[in-house]
Amino acid sequence: MVLIRDVLDKKLIDREDCDMGRVSGLLMHVGENTQPRVTHILIGGPTLWMRVNPFLGRISKRLGRMWGPKRSEPVRIPWSRVETVGRGIKLDVVAKETGALDWELWLAKNVIEHIPGGGSEEEE
Amino acid sequence: MKRFLAVPLLLAVACKPPTPAEQMDTIVSWIATARMAGDASLRRTTPDKYTRQTLELSDRMLLQSGSELLKSPPPAIDSADFAKVLIRTRFQIKEMARLVEQKAAPEFRQPWDSLGIYEKIVKQASDRIDSSR
Amino acid sequence: MKKILQLSLGIITSVGGFLEIGSVTTSAQAGAQFGYQLLWPLLFGTICLVFLVEMSGRLAAVSKHTVVGAMRERFGFPFFFVVSVGITIVVFMVLIAELGGIAFSLQMLTGIGFPWWALPVSLVVWLLMWKGTFSLIEYGASLLGLVTISFAVAAFRLHPDWAAVASGFLPSMPHSDKARYGFLTVSILGATISPYLMYFYSSGAIEEKWDRSYVVMNRIIAGFGMFFGGFLAMAVLIAAALAFQPMGIQVNTFPQAALLMTTALPKWGFYLFALSMLFACFGAALEISLAIAYFFAQGLGWNWSQNLEPSKNARFAFVYTVIIIVAAIPLMFGVDPIKVTMMSMALTSATLPFAIIPFLFLMNDPIYLGKYRNGWLSNAVVAIVVLLSFVLALISVPLEIVGG
Repeated sequence: MVLIRDVLDKKLIDREDCDMGRVSGLLMHVGENTQPRVTHILIGGPTLWMRVNPFLGRISKRLGRMWGPKRSEPVRIPWSRVETVGRGIKLDVVAKETGALDWELWLAKNVIEHIPGGGSEEEE
Repeated sequence: MKRFLAVPLLLAVACKPPTPAEQMDTIVSWIATARMAGDASLRRTTPDKYTRQTLELSDRMLLQSGSELLKSPPPAIDSADFAKVLIRTRFQIKEMARLVEQKAAPEFRQPWDSLGIYEKIVKQASDRIDSSR
Repeated sequence: MKKILQLSLGIITSVGGFLEIGSVTTSAQAGAQFGYQLLWPLLFGTICLVFLVEMSGRLAAVSKHTVVGAMRERFGFPFFFVVSVGITIVVFMVLIAELGGIAFSLQMLTGIGFPWWALPVSLVVWLLMWKGTFSLIEYGASLLGLVTISFAVAAFRLHPDWAAVASGFLPSMPHSDKARYGFLTVSILGATISPYLMYFYSSGAIEEKWDRSYVVMNRIIAGFGMFFGGFLAMAVLIAAALAFQPMGIQVNTFPQAALLMTTALPKWGFYLFALSMLFACFGAALEISLAIAYFFAQGLGWNWSQNLEPSKNARFAFVYTVIIIVAAIPLMFGVDPIKVTMMSMALTSATLPFAIIPFLFLMNDPIYLGKYRNGWLSNAVVAIVVLLSFVLALISVPLEIVGG
């Protein structure tokens, strides 16, 4: 597996086939006498913006604390939860429980559902 | 050095005013627009509100373009005569706009016919400017 | 039968590309000022677009990735960010122009000034996005867009000299106004080869659940659709050459363009023009709003589909809601949509390289396309368009200033 080609920026899908976003970054453990290994997948704005420019990453963190679900840290998914890596990355998690959909749920609850015809996120 | 000169040169070219020939083309265009809109109205193929609005727009654009041209008129035309022609042209267009609004269709034809005559005069002036270039 | 109905995806894509306010007014300007001399960039742009749109559809059908999704995965977020800045600015301006086109058409029909129509028009566009499914938008806009066939009828009724028309398909320089000719050439190409068309088409292919069995049909749809739009844009140019050029009318405003068919179709020409622009700009506004929402949703990995309730893809719905409402604001203050569209076409040309270069890589990547990768002809066309896009990017803004 080539991490940048096969993992980074790939789509993430949860146990229920729900879209969870894309891999923004990877957390690796680099030990003194061990091979580097991926420990977590990162999902979230600050990580993405850090890749463009560290200054934008800091701004994103600050804004994330002020608005919406008020989340400034990226979502971390343990690498052990990765089931398959193919067209997308299938994870053994439920998206809503990880925090990856915080913005989606916040917008649905606080904006979209207040507009007539917007429906309800909880309806099946 | 050339690179530094390029930007101000480009701006100088961009900011240059339109030539007399270009200004005259604009004047010809708006008179022709008024004629075509008037013709469509005579044949009852366009709504009256559209015709009035287009004639009023033509009048405004003629005032603007005419003033620009007469600020520094080209030698090929007599500026005093041309100013009179423009005033009369605009008068015909304003008459047409007034008569459309009043739904006086038969009376509409007279200023429209007169506009045709002024259109020819302006086109001749335009041709003189083109041939003097 | 279902596959034949998919032709509507091709039609709506081309309506948004060719028959929206920018393309129609540019074609009318080109015909009015230079006769048939600018038919060649329309033909060239159409052919390039057929190839690019076909590739977008093939990528979606085979890899189940949209162009944007594949671009994000292959080129990473920093590249996606750069493209997103350019595409957001361009799409925003084009949307202002399209909403303005609908508003102007209503002004032609009712006499009520277009700023008054800006908000109601935006609300109707938004409502259709909010409540409508992809199929409703696709079929509805395509069906209504068929009224634009009146442009072709008008052109034929003016009895053009077909030999002279044919000579317009070969590039030639005019005797005068070379800067203006250059500007219109760039504008036509920029208006034709618009990246958001490819984003929309590939998203539509996913919405319609295309698979490998659609590969051949995709070629037919892309070819038919784009030539449908291109042919009608050429008809506008030909009609303008015959209706406006002899009179010396330069088409700089919408009210002037509205006279396009009054000679060829005396009784209905004006109303057909107004209705054609109304429905074409409506289809284009829907397409563009969807295209930008698809762009962000696919690039950032959000849940997306026009067939879902808004609350089920909240971020997707939020993007198109915000952009439609914000695009109405300049129009309410009387900003001229024709001026906005001319600027947007120059900017589209300037940002084209970033949109086209990914195709060179994606369409040759065996991971995405396997045996359905580009052949030599498609690669040659992409290479030509990439080169062209760099040239356009360099000259579009200066030409806009000098010749626009």
